[in-house]
Order: sequence, then structure tokens, then C-alpha cells
Amino acid sequence: MRTIVNSSHDPFYNQAFEEFVFQTFPEDDLFFLWQNSPAVVVGCYQNICREVSVPALRRLGIPIVRRSSGGGTVYHDLGNVNYTFLVKRDGPVDYDRCLMPMVEALNAIGVPARKNRSCDIAIGEQKISGSAQRVSGGRILQHGTLLFQSDLTALDQITTHHKNDCIQSKGIASAICPVTNIRAHLTQDMTLDAFQARLLAQLVPMDAQPLTLTAAQEEAVRRLRDEKYRSWAWTWGKTPAFQYEKEGLFAGVPIRVTYAAKKGILSDVSVDCAALDSKDAARLLEGARLDPEGLAAVCHTLAGEQGDMLLEYLL
Amino acid sequence: MEKELTMPKLRPEMKDGVLCAWLKEEGDMVTAGEPLFEIETDKVVNQIEATESGVLKKQLFEEGDTVDVEAPVAILETK
Repeated sequence: MRTIVNSSHDPFYNQAFEEFVFQTFPEDDLFFLWQNSPAVVVGCYQNICREVSVPALRRLGIPIVRRSSGGGTVYHDLGNVNYTFLVKRDGPVDYDRCLMPMVEALNAIGVPARKNRSCDIAIGEQKISGSAQRVSGGRILQHGTLLFQSDLTALDQITTHHKNDCIQSKGIASAICPVTNIRAHLTQDMTLDAFQARLLAQLVPMDAQPLTLTAAQEEAVRRLRDEKYRSWAWTWGKTPAFQYEKEGLFAGVPIRVTYAAKKGILSDVSVDCAALDSKDAARLLEGARLDPEGLAAVCHTLAGEQGDMLLEYLL
Repeated sequence: MEKELTMPKLRPEMKDGVLCAWLKEEGDMVTAGEPLFEIETDKVVNQIEATESGVLKKQLFEEGDTVDVEAPVAILETK
């Protein structure tokens, strides 16, 4: 087992980095730690609109990143540490091969953690870590979160309070679990930096030379970031087909919005509201991309200063 | 010759999986070892590779469908 250094906190770059390393070093078993600045990270086949309030995240300036592994929606910040194992596949799909060494490493550095459910790590009954996998070409990518000193109030607000029941959709839904921070359970306190260093020392032999990317490889990661992970096609175009229906009050009068979306394109759009020109709305939204910025611009065209309010009824 | 590709049983306790994405369209040429579709079960996204070369004749499920283990997913026309 070797490690590879990634000190970027850019959530789009970090997804690209992981994919690039997964594909570029097929001979090595690798383990590395990394962190994202505040971001929502969704599973490969999730419906973003069902999992989080897109207008609320847009107001907060928190980006949404789609990852290549399965599972649910998580909130990352700089109090959270992510880990990735890249290993050869041998036999049936199994989490324990990477999960148990992680639990043992946590125990060895004084974290009273245990495995919970198939791929979570908990302290008592509270989750500190969730994980997911991608299997491809005889190799396994297993990664997970480790809540060390995250803003749990923000996490709770973003990932559990804005589930959207206006959506009928296939795809993978998230599980909601009570969570806690590792740092609150340490008998001897340590900093986040010390936590990362000690964890790494448990999982990677001291004498194994770390890998680093060359300048050309870093450039390839940035290209993958820009062409894939920052693209509309990856983040929104992969949204499973869904039907949308939302009712409420807009500008003091009733509003009802319905549409269908397939491969991220809106169709059968109906905006029924006395305060708006329904024909204009349907014309501008029919065939539009499921894209927060694009839809916000349409909302401002239709409703002027109340555009942001209108967006709440579209996503 | 027609050959069926089925939903694989990836773990002993697996009962079904979601067919998340087709990586080939009907009529496409496929070579053995090339990924054909992606499934998700228990937070694992797994690329399923063609076991033989041929033409993808039929996609038996749509993206997003839940498919029982060992049920046919695709029909491959092989030589």
C-alpha cells in the first residue's frame, strides 16, 4: 500500500483526481486522504432535485458535485476528511476488505469506532463515516467520509431538511442517519492535521515512498475536471428521468408547476399562475436544460425581481 | 447465436440491482471485455463487461429499472 499526495480542496478537481489515479496506476494498491471545501456530493445515479434544495444551495454558493460511485448525498466541509482505497478486485463485492482496516486504524489512534450496517462506521449509534464503491476493470475504488469536526448544523440543514417530495423519479435515494463528529469522542484531543497524519501512518507503511503526479498529469486532472466533473452533461444530464409537480403561493396567488425531465431536458411544462404569463413560461421552459443558472435566468425574465422566488417552484 | 447477459449476483445476499446506464445502444458492436452497462446495488456502481464479442441486439430494461439477480438484461448476437 502506497499513498499519493493531493492537497487540493477543490471538490471538482478532487473527483477528477480520484478517477485519474484509479485509471492511471492499475498496478498499485493506493490509499489517500483528501478534503473538500464546502460542497454537496451526490451519488452517480441520484436525482439532485430530490435530495437537496437546489435554490437554497445556489443562494449559499455551495457547489453540487456528482461522483462516480454509488450511494447517497453527503455534505463535505473542511472539518470532514475523505479517504480513498484503490485496490485490485478479488472475489465478490465486499466492503469489509477496506472498511475493517479503516475501523482498526481508527481504534488504534483512540477513536472508539465500530462498523455499522454494511458500509458505515459509527461511534455508539451515531454515524461518523459512510462509504461507497465503484468497480471497473477488475479494480475497486472505495471511498468514504470521516466527520472529524464538521459543521453538523449545516450538514443537517442541507442533507435532511430539503428532501423534495414534488418529484416522482427512479434512481437511488439517500438514507438519513444521526451523525456525530469524531473529535467529540476522543479521550485525548488531537487536531485535524494530527488525525490525518496518524491515520495515514496506520494504513500506509512508513517506508513506502508516496506517489506524486507530474505537472503533465496534474494538467490532465484539470482537463478531466473541466470536461467532465464541471460539465452540465455529467452533473445534470445524468439525472434519472422524473415527473415534477409543485403547488403553492407565488406573489400572493396560487401557482402550480408541472413538467417532465428526461436526460436533463424539460418537457410538458405547465406553469399555472395568475401573476405570470403562462404561455411565455411554457415557451421559455419547454426544452430547457435542468440547470439552476439557466432556469434562474428564465425566472428573472418571467418574474423580474421575484425571479428567485419563482425558482423555488421550479426545482 | 443469441446470448443472454444477466443481472450478476455480486454478493451472496444480493437480491436485485438497479440498471443505471446503458453504455452501448442497440445495434452497437461490442468486444469481449468492453463495458456494456452499469448497475448499482448497496452503494456500489459496477461496470458489467461483455463476456463475448458481438452486436447488442436488445436492451431488455430501461435505465433506472430494478432487475432481479440472474434475470436477463441484454441479448447479444454473437457469431
